[in-house]
Amino acid sequence: MEIFAQPFWVPKAGNAAAEYEDAFWPPKRLRTRKAQLRLAVADGATETSYSGLWAKQLVEAFGYGRVRPETLCKDLAPLQERWREEVHGKALPWYTEENLRSGTFASFLGLTFSARSPNDHHGAWQALAVGDCCVAQVRGNVVLASFPLGAAADFNNRPCLLSSDPATNGAIENHLRTLEGTWATDDTFFLMTDALAHWFYQETEQGERPWNTLRDLDTTDEPKPFPEWIADLRGKGAIKNDDVTLFRADLH
Amino acid sequence: MAYNAEISRANPSCFVFLIDQSGSMADARGGGASSRNKAQGLSDILNNLLRNLILRCAKEEGVRDYYQIGVLGYGQTVGPALGGSLAGRQLVPLSEIATSPVRLDEREKEDGVGGLVKIKFPIWVDPIANGGTPMCQAFAQAQTILEGWLTQHASSFPPIVINITDGEATDGDPSSAADSLRRLSTNDGEVLVFNIHLSSHHATPIEFPNSEAGLPDQFAQLLFRMSSHLPPHMCAAAQQEGYRLQEGARGFVFNADMVAVIKALEIGTRPSNLR
Repeated sequence: MEIFAQPFWVPKAGNAAAEYEDAFWPPKRLRTRKAQLRLAVADGATETSYSGLWAKQLVEAFGYGRVRPETLCKDLAPLQERWREEVHGKALPWYTEENLRSGTFASFLGLTFSARSPNDHHGAWQALAVGDCCVAQVRGNVVLASFPLGAAADFNNRPCLLSSDPATNGAIENHLRTLEGTWATDDTFFLMTDALAHWFYQETEQGERPWNTLRDLDTTDEPKPFPEWIADLRGKGAIKNDDVTLFRADLH
Repeated sequence: MAYNAEISRANPSCFVFLIDQSGSMADARGGGASSRNKAQGLSDILNNLLRNLILRCAKEEGVRDYYQIGVLGYGQTVGPALGGSLAGRQLVPLSEIATSPVRLDEREKEDGVGGLVKIKFPIWVDPIANGGTPMCQAFAQAQTILEGWLTQHASSFPPIVINITDGEATDGDPSSAADSLRRLSTNDGEVLVFNIHLSSHHATPIEFPNSEAGLPDQFAQLLFRMSSHLPPHMCAAAQQEGYRLQEGARGFVFNADMVAVIKALEIGTRPSNLR
């Protein structure tokens, strides 16, 4: 299984790069031949504090195989402890102290590719998600899978998210979604945080082929670099102004 | 009118609270909260609204200035009513409000699982009950402040004016002053005027009605007529919070709070598992 995976990201317009609260794993692009590989994206919730830190911890833990769907709550416990240690050691103003009482939140999507050997040209994938980060599997011009949301109308501003507070995560297993499938040479997987995923679904529903634009990013066919392209979409009102993250994975 | 402008630090919105500090606010409050008088009820509601606004805009680096805040009192006098280091200021960025309460109290709040938890409860305005009820003057002063603000923020989400009162104006009928305020606008919509009626009537709280038919007295009916219709996204958000709203619901509550309005303002993703 040969994978070329590349992240693209841009903060919300008006925000500094340091205020970007999405996260992705692995932290940089890679070209590798392996029998198993994990990719992840997460989106820290705007209305909570230290959500970017939580999103980073989630994708990293998934990348190292420490977050599994069958043991999700148990696997989150050490991460929740680590997050608490990092944020509660500081002298905090009243509003941060109050906000941290209910923890922080992030939407999360993890994707695992596997093959029987590093040289195989087909294999399996397994995805797990909580919230509205999405993945689309595209072969040629056919969308084989869209997960966990299936249509632009499925997005809203009140998703159930993974919390850093075990008490708030009580019913999270009801919101955990998993899906399995198979991959073959030349498939492309697009892992997207909600703003871009919503655009992708909307374009697809209108008969467009948004995957072609995403495939061209950072190639000689690229119309514009990712941040400028997103700025254009925002300017046209075609995409919500939010942090935007894309992880594109080409399999061979 | 769209009411869909993005609320951001570059394009902030504005809240102006008009608070009744007249002598009649010393009377007991109805609706099951009679152990505290109306002036105490008002300061609880206002301090809680400000607290909620701040918590929604707080990030690890501080409170983001998505809003500017004005608090005008009307009673013995009409004018800015914030205390401490904010005294005399007409409009204050939200981050300054957050760092400048008069004091920080602790209160108990239900923890959602049958117990109580102590929370930090900042106080910006203490109860005052003195003098007449010059509500028309208060609306006129809000109009002057917002006319200035609107020249600088023509594309912003429109200002929201929340008037908290027992409804008994002593300087005339405030309807035309409220109408005039509602006619101010940004490119995104007209100024929203909402009213919170604190009454001595022991009537059941009423939230966001669409008709004055069931309201308990003429003051409630007047305040209802002075209130803007809730924009569709606010109706939808209030419904998500469990309110049963009918078509034509207005920004009026009787012996109740208005935290639902704060929760309805969209500044980003709000987890459904965060209450």
